Amino acid sequence: MPEINAGDTAWVLTSTALVMLMTPGLALFYGGLVRRKNVLSTIMHSFFILGLVSVTWVLWGYTLAFGPDTGLGLIGGLDWLALEGVTGEPSDVYATTTPHLAFMAFQMMFAIITPALISGAFAERKRFKAFVLFAVAWSTFVYAPIAHWVWSPDGWLFTLGVLDFAGGTVVHLSSGIAALVAALFIGRRTGLVQLATEPHDVPMTVLGAGLLWFGWFGFNAGSALGANGLAANAFVTTNTAAAMAAITWVTISWLHKGTPSVLGAAIGAVAGLVAITPAAGFVTPAASILIGLGVGVVCYGAAQLRLRARVDDALDVFAVHGVGGAFGALATGVFATTAVNAAGFEGLLNGNPGQLLTQLIGVGVVGAYSAVMTGAILFLVNLVTPIRVAGDVEETGLDLAQHGEVAYQP
Amino acid sequence: MVIAALICFAILLVAWVLAPDGRTTSVPAAAEAEAEVERDAIPVAV
Repeated sequence: MPEINAGDTAWVLTSTALVMLMTPGLALFYGGLVRRKNVLSTIMHSFFILGLVSVTWVLWGYTLAFGPDTGLGLIGGLDWLALEGVTGEPSDVYATTTPHLAFMAFQMMFAIITPALISGAFAERKRFKAFVLFAVAWSTFVYAPIAHWVWSPDGWLFTLGVLDFAGGTVVHLSSGIAALVAALFIGRRTGLVQLATEPHDVPMTVLGAGLLWFGWFGFNAGSALGANGLAANAFVTTNTAAAMAAITWVTISWLHKGTPSVLGAAIGAVAGLVAITPAAGFVTPAASILIGLGVGVVCYGAAQLRLRARVDDALDVFAVHGVGGAFGALATGVFATTAVNAAGFEGLLNGNPGQLLTQLIGVGVVGAYSAVMTGAILFLVNLVTPIRVAGDVEETGLDLAQHGEVAYQP
Repeated sequence: MVIAALICFAILLVAWVLAPDGRTTSVPAAAEAEAEVERDAIPVAV
């Protein structure tokens, strides 16, 4: 019988709280980027999901994602429905030095923020009711299976050898691809001359980015599932990649647009955090500098291409999370070393080119599954209630028209 | 208890489908004010 370690348990519970804070942080990050008539609705999409997925995760999400495998490595069984059998005693499989409930709660925070990330793609024109139904379906039929494939010891991508320390594919690639599909499905916002509007509150966005950066220490270092050297490595690589991506993004935008953008620093930091997520517990701090530099360049380019392609992914979820998540997953296949984590594999630079191919398969499979399933879910939800609000509602703003409230009094 | 919990959530799910869809009347003053802001919008330099 595994024994509970007090230090490990304290760190996992603390990390759980850190990751929880990321969702309100995301709400502020996104809220500042939209126009003032849509700030409350944008915040609500994240905050409501904090409640919604907390409940669905307890009821069926956790058992589908992490429950005993049903046989093919595709989905967990219903053994732990409503957390039956998940107790204060350690699991035999997951985080074996902490209470099983602590591991469950830690994973719950990942399940919460993932659909919230998608909300930025079709911001300012989606119907709240439709988004609620979408979030329930997406977390059940997209997030839970992918989490099982990658993180369950019986999951087929885990068995294949795909490395994803804290969710580069499970969280960021899946949500980034879903965001692109959602943006294409719902169409562009009306009345915009340019697809990039001026954010209504840059300080709000920078505050949100700061909270995300803070919470990400729980996201990545907490994924060590123990108070140990691996957690420390993940902590340092996380901070380093975020820092490098932030200063890289600012430098590029400075050279490209002529000014060192504050908003660029915030978005660049988030891109760095996304890219280091799958790699944090497999690469060295020096490698995290290269990952931060690379993702700063790649995601900046993706954001510019998105504008030229005139895809109205309103808050650049695909460019940052989709592209950044894929970049990080592939970079893991390049830089991974067992000197950092003996439970991982060597990467390309350490004589194992096959790991890069394995990572590529993981990226392709997760991306394709998320794209197809997201499209299907949007189609079905649209039959129940239109995803997009009416033109006059969009013109008025979702805060007043959908929620009956305004963020700021005149 | 598990069944009861699932039923509770199902009731909420039905309520969300049936719930009214916010205010449907537009507010011209708010729209006009926002349109003014939008006309002044400049591209974001990120």
